[in-house]
Amino acid sequence: MIRHLFTLMWNRRRANGLLVVEIFLAFVVLFAVSTIAANLWSNYRQPLGFEYDQVWQLNFTTGSQPRAEQLGTLRQLLAEIRANPQVAGAASTASNTPFSFNDSQTRLDFTDPRDSTQRPIGPINTYVVGPELREVMGLELVAGRWFGPADAVQGAHIPVVIDERLQRAMYPDGRSALDGQLAGDNEPPRRVIGVVRAYRTDGELQEPLPSIFQAIQPEDTLFLAQSVLLRVKPGSGAALEKQLTDAVRRIGPGWTGTIRTLPDMHTVQMKVRLTKPLLLGAMSVFLLLNVALGLLGVLWLNISRRRGELGVRRAMGATAGGISRQVLGEILVVTTFGLVLGLLVAVQFPLLGVQNVRPDIYFTAMLLAAGALYLLATVCALYPSRLAAGIQPAVALREE
Amino acid sequence: MTNLFTSTAAASQAQPATAPATGVGRAVLQLTGIEKVYQTRTIETVALNHVNLTINQGEFVSVMGPSGCGKSTLLSIMGLLDEPTSGTLELDGRPVQSYSDKELARLRNHKIGFVFQSYHLINDLSVLDNVELPLLYRSGVSGRQRRQRAYAALEKVGLGARTSHFPSQLSGGQRQRVAIARALAGEPEIILADEPTGNLDSVMGEEIMDLLLTLNREQGTTIVMVTHDEQQALKTQRLIRFFDGSQVS
Repeated sequence: MIRHLFTLMWNRRRANGLLVVEIFLAFVVLFAVSTIAANLWSNYRQPLGFEYDQVWQLNFTTGSQPRAEQLGTLRQLLAEIRANPQVAGAASTASNTPFSFNDSQTRLDFTDPRDSTQRPIGPINTYVVGPELREVMGLELVAGRWFGPADAVQGAHIPVVIDERLQRAMYPDGRSALDGQLAGDNEPPRRVIGVVRAYRTDGELQEPLPSIFQAIQPEDTLFLAQSVLLRVKPGSGAALEKQLTDAVRRIGPGWTGTIRTLPDMHTVQMKVRLTKPLLLGAMSVFLLLNVALGLLGVLWLNISRRRGELGVRRAMGATAGGISRQVLGEILVVTTFGLVLGLLVAVQFPLLGVQNVRPDIYFTAMLLAAGALYLLATVCALYPSRLAAGIQPAVALREE
Repeated sequence: MTNLFTSTAAASQAQPATAPATGVGRAVLQLTGIEKVYQTRTIETVALNHVNLTINQGEFVSVMGPSGCGKSTLLSIMGLLDEPTSGTLELDGRPVQSYSDKELARLRNHKIGFVFQSYHLINDLSVLDNVELPLLYRSGVSGRQRRQRAYAALEKVGLGARTSHFPSQLSGGQRQRVAIARALAGEPEIILADEPTGNLDSVMGEEIMDLLLTLNREQGTTIVMVTHDEQQALKTQRLIRFFDGSQVS
């Protein structure tokens, strides 16, 4: 029967041509949307690497205070913040904090000690942070150690902590990257002292990049005088916010401070990241509705025109259920024709490595798009197929 | 059950050119008190009125009557395509009224072949695919067997060289031959032909009639044919006349 349906639909390819084109175009759009959705979902499922529920970010501007005096002011401010009973911990950090839309990226060269081959790795998110960051953000250390007081002193190597993604980039075979070295232009080599699970400051939906942490050096005033991440105790609210901003104004001459909670920043980032995909999704839903109406109309018309044929099939031994299945089968075959064309286009994306999207994302998107169209075709065919099954063969044959 | 049919004068005058090879045997179709009433809100139309009729195995029976007298309705009921309003229909001695849609479809597929005035071929299928159609709905027949049997049926009707043609590429007579081949492919016991020569000119009509007579004579296929053509009806073994839904002779 399947062969019969393919033969019949192939012979009717001219009549069904527009429908096939419509399904092909719908597949291409759905494939694009599904690729974005699958990519977002794949990103979302990967660990964020930190906890942000009770974390606030304090940003400050230093006004006209001379740079040489800023470090002292900041240390005084940090001491006061940490002394606040509502604050569980505070860590200085550069401005590329979680959900801030700021990033700092670099490319480094890694030399594999086993065969001395050198290869560039990047882009890598770089974070210059105070040693308290691990506790404040709840970073999970999976190997080696986090920064200690000794790491704040410049030596022959810059001690760095990396995330597992960078470790895999250095050693795809799964070896530990501890003591591995990464070199940058005109800088001392970086030596890996620890590995954390992840630190995805770009949020759950963004493609995760490898990360590298470097301890703030005393002379890094430029970085120090930007942000502090605070872990506050549950129940902290406006009162604490006022205490902190007052402290900034009181301690720093001409300084101003603003506080935002990371959950709020997260919400904003999610909205921004989801706006385009949701718009695309809405457009594709509209497109699918149009395709559905087209399918329904064509099926309805086909059944009206083919009452005689359906009557003959009943006379030849088809059951009402068989007629219903045939109508359903026919539309699935037409859908398959459109999908084959669409898949021929879609399969070029993983083959050509377009947009650096992983091939499995593309294949998942193909399955999703094809599944959605098969489902749509099935749903659209349900009522017409019932109509077809209800045709009285004797009446249909007489009408002809 | 007694055979309620009595030969008409016309039928008794009409003798087939040669006697059927298999002869006339047991009753394959038996209609008892069949009534068919079409009802709308305002009108009640009696299409068949208390019809009692027996069709025996190997018979070639023609049914005549004016348009609207119930001939096609009778054929639809005999072909299990329509249900009578009352009365019983027995196929091979078994009443079929209580059969499910699936059982009726199976009976149509195995026992009955249909030939229609307007051929009812599927224009988007080749001649061979059209002839395969009844076998498509029969379980246990492989694709290869379907092809073989369809070829054989087409050979029988003299269209073995036209298998890959489409109905639109054939003449009316050839299309009707394809329709007959389609009816034959399932090797049915009964062929129900509804004005099979109605759309054909006299020469082609004669060809189709000869083909049906040959089938009846050589293979013993039971044929019930509705026709308006007295000459063709006289060539069959029995002629039944209908008027206003009732069997008049």
